[in-house]
Amino acid sequence: MVNHNNFKTRLKIAKEKLKNSSKNLDNAGNSSSMGSAFKLSTDLVAHVAVGTIIGFILDNWFDTKPWLIIIFFFLGSVAGILNVIKTAKLMQEKD
Amino acid sequence: MATNPMHQFQVHRIGPEIKIVGIDLSFTNASLFMLFSAISICVLLFFGTKEKRIIPHKFQLISELFYNFIAKMISDTAGSKAKPYFPFIFSLFMFVLFCNMLGMLPYSFTVTSHIIVTLIMAIFIFIAVTVIGFLKHGLGYLKLFVPSGVPIVLLPLITVIEIISYLSRPVSLSVRLFANMMAGHTMLKVFGGFVISLGMLGGWLPLGFSVALTGLEILVAFLQAYVFAILTCIYLNDALNLHH
Repeated sequence: MVNHNNFKTRLKIAKEKLKNSSKNLDNAGNSSSMGSAFKLSTDLVAHVAVGTIIGFILDNWFDTKPWLIIIFFFLGSVAGILNVIKTAKLMQEKD
Repeated sequence: MATNPMHQFQVHRIGPEIKIVGIDLSFTNASLFMLFSAISICVLLFFGTKEKRIIPHKFQLISELFYNFIAKMISDTAGSKAKPYFPFIFSLFMFVLFCNMLGMLPYSFTVTSHIIVTLIMAIFIFIAVTVIGFLKHGLGYLKLFVPSGVPIVLLPLITVIEIISYLSRPVSLSVRLFANMMAGHTMLKVFGGFVISLGMLGGWLPLGFSVALTGLEILVAFLQAYVFAILTCIYLNDALNLHH
């Protein structure tokens, strides 16, 4: 097949080109905005949930029943909001 | 039974019961569909890479498309240091994508709509990223929890917050995929049930809704696989290039 031979030389040339250029892939950031929306919403909920669970476990350990769960619930909320702000700042930098 | 929207998520045994050391390891419909997606990925990539052509045939085109997509995603989000982890992220993305997409076929089973499946994947990623971080940076990886430029008074508070936010990674990663898949499939089934119970008179509206929802679900199936893979890249980026 003529085509096949031709292809092999072309592949070789392309591979050499790749070797010469250190960065082969251009970065045209095209991440889906719907994807980041999903990320932000679940992140916010997950932080609060994890904070509350940590508070619950620590409460059982130290026998300080209602206090640590309350503190860690708020810490989790703070962590969630901070994380959303951080991600939003990163998204703004990208644009 | 047929109109129960949660019936589609039931796991049942196929074939004989296999028990090893008291653990039920029987072959279920979930394992069947995991096997299906693994086989279809292998078949697609095998035929896609078997013969190379300048003008690609369909299989080659699709597999090249996937390869480029993932390679670009990794180099964009995690840089060139993450190149060695390409096979892992590629197989992760393909597996989640094919599980989601096979779930869109009628009478099939969506593996990713079970939290145990997504949680295991997320915990594996979490542990792997933590181990990679400690291997690359030693104890310096703990700097991730102590951001620079914070006043001493606030430092304990910020550290606790950072630890909470680190621990919540596997939770948000797994819950996102599981909740999206399960909510979507339940909704499809509920609207399908409306079509039957409203009959010829009022069934046309929910029928239209379920057509639209099917399109949305295919988008979500792709998007969730993409989000799962890109977040793995972002976590890997944190572990490889410490920049806090």
